[in-house]
Amino acid sequence: MSVLNPVQKRDARHLGMRASENIYQSIVCFILALIAATMVLPFLYVIVISFTDSSVYESGTFYMWPKKWSVEAYSLILRGQGFLNALKATAFITFVGTPINVCANAGLAYMLSKDALPGRKMINRLVMFTMLFGAGMIPNFINMRNLGLINSWFANILPSACGAWTVMVMKSFFSELPRDIEEAAEIDGCGTIRMFVQIVLPLSLAMLATFTLFAFVSYWNCYFSAIIYLTDSNKMPLQVYLSKIVLSTDISEVVDMDNDLKNKVPQEVMRMACLVVVVLPILCIYPFMQKYFAKGVMVGAVKG
Amino acid sequence: MAQAKPVVYDLRPHRRSLAQRIWAYKWTYLLGVPGMTLMILFNYLPMGSLLMAFEDYDPWRGLFASPFVGFKHFVRLFGDDKFYQMLGNTLTISLLSLLTFPAPIILALLLNEVRSSAFKKTIQTTVYLPHFLSWTIVVSLTFFLLSSEQGLVNKIIIAAGGEKRSFLFDKSIIYFIIVVQSVWKGVGWGSIVYLAAIAGIDQGLYEAAKIDGASKFQSIIHITFPCILPTVAVMLILKMGSIISVDFEQVLLMTNALVKEKLDVFEVYIYENGVKSGSTQFSYTTAIGMFKSVISTMLVLITNRIVSSNGMKGII
Repeated sequence: MSVLNPVQKRDARHLGMRASENIYQSIVCFILALIAATMVLPFLYVIVISFTDSSVYESGTFYMWPKKWSVEAYSLILRGQGFLNALKATAFITFVGTPINVCANAGLAYMLSKDALPGRKMINRLVMFTMLFGAGMIPNFINMRNLGLINSWFANILPSACGAWTVMVMKSFFSELPRDIEEAAEIDGCGTIRMFVQIVLPLSLAMLATFTLFAFVSYWNCYFSAIIYLTDSNKMPLQVYLSKIVLSTDISEVVDMDNDLKNKVPQEVMRMACLVVVVLPILCIYPFMQKYFAKGVMVGAVKG
Repeated sequence: MAQAKPVVYDLRPHRRSLAQRIWAYKWTYLLGVPGMTLMILFNYLPMGSLLMAFEDYDPWRGLFASPFVGFKHFVRLFGDDKFYQMLGNTLTISLLSLLTFPAPIILALLLNEVRSSAFKKTIQTTVYLPHFLSWTIVVSLTFFLLSSEQGLVNKIIIAAGGEKRSFLFDKSIIYFIIVVQSVWKGVGWGSIVYLAAIAGIDQGLYEAAKIDGASKFQSIIHITFPCILPTVAVMLILKMGSIISVDFEQVLLMTNALVKEKLDVFEVYIYENGVKSGSTQFSYTTAIGMFKSVISTMLVLITNRIVSSNGMKGII
């Protein structure tokens, strides 16, 4: 609010009013800061404890700033075979899944954005219907078994790779692209595939980036599909690994570390170090995602 | 061609045959094939297995040779005390989270009052973050705060000379914890749609109210709130559509032996008796899942009808 309108100018002359406005602003900001603090403080607590030296932690006193720092918990977690297996699984699911997800969604959305396409309405209805009705857990499980995908990481990737909501948002984005560019390219003899790859996709980079990040987050966070479709405990992704570490009373077996290292670091500190490692990639890409929220993509998505 | 063709407008519909038009779009169809294949394989193919709900499924005989039993499993379901317990738990959790429905609206109203855009942006960045965290992370944080041995809250209670409590095994507060987790995770993200609605309000209304001597609070009650009411109505109705569903991952991770009876919901039952314990219960658990799917589909259709009949744009 750099430019004041006449009403505000008049108000600004009344010093009393300005003071009450300041009080009002500080109260609002204080409440909001409190709300934001509930989101930040738990992480701060976990990060600090995860770096606390075991001798300080076991003495029982709690500091918001540890007297003695240590990265021992991290070195134990990161070296454990359990973590490396889980990291491999999550890396595969995320880095193979994300491109498949974006390509499948964007292709289908582009197809549905062509108004004159024969059968467009019917395909559109079929896509929307998946939003409305799902077969349920057991039919999905049996289907996965029939397809031979049980205990394969593709069982975590493919079912969520093409979603009605994403297709609909991408479709409305593609329909709003200026028609004349495509028409001009068509007159110049540009084929459909080339037009999609060289003209339409480069024009939609911000939208594609958003959905790439969404896909990345959803694959990184994959938990439910892992416990249902994966049977080999060595193939479980990081989220399952973290839940095992947090929920089990003795973590040494989950971590799969050498016997002589057991009890070197308090289990609670190891648990927190594990959480920090699992959440770190999300925190790292979050600022990039955040860039797009305020812009049209998200608001347009919510409006449908 | 030496001579340009005269321009002739052909206004007859369907100048080209259907086959010709389909052929003209062949490459466009090709782009949609991967997505359509995935949808058919993972959304439509499983629907065939719903037939199991009407038969005594025997994996050796397969889907089509298993004996057909009609509505046997549904009759068993409606006579099962467990069913009413699960339905009760689901509705209780949903209704309690419905009570927190105003939270994102209040957050949006507060954010809208902030003058400093840098502060506003910082707060927004922070409150949107939990939406992107998995339930595993949220539940782990809850454990670090509330567990009886190492939890921060109990450490503070003990340091203050109190008696430690096992919050996570307490039947009386487990719903409270579940609802607080959901609000923590969703409040920021939920406020986006209301912020967008508030941003669309004509600023002239506020100036006129100010000239008429309206206070800030009066402006919110008499301008902001009525203007975002359509959005509020749509969101409320949409929420009603999902009243029979709870967040499976959250409930599964929060369950333990002592609070299980409070957290037994359809999804957890299907998972434990269908997926985990083999094929003997496939038919019954499929029937439970189908009951749930049909009810929630009906709820979505009904609520969508209400939204569109009130002159607002529905989702379908």
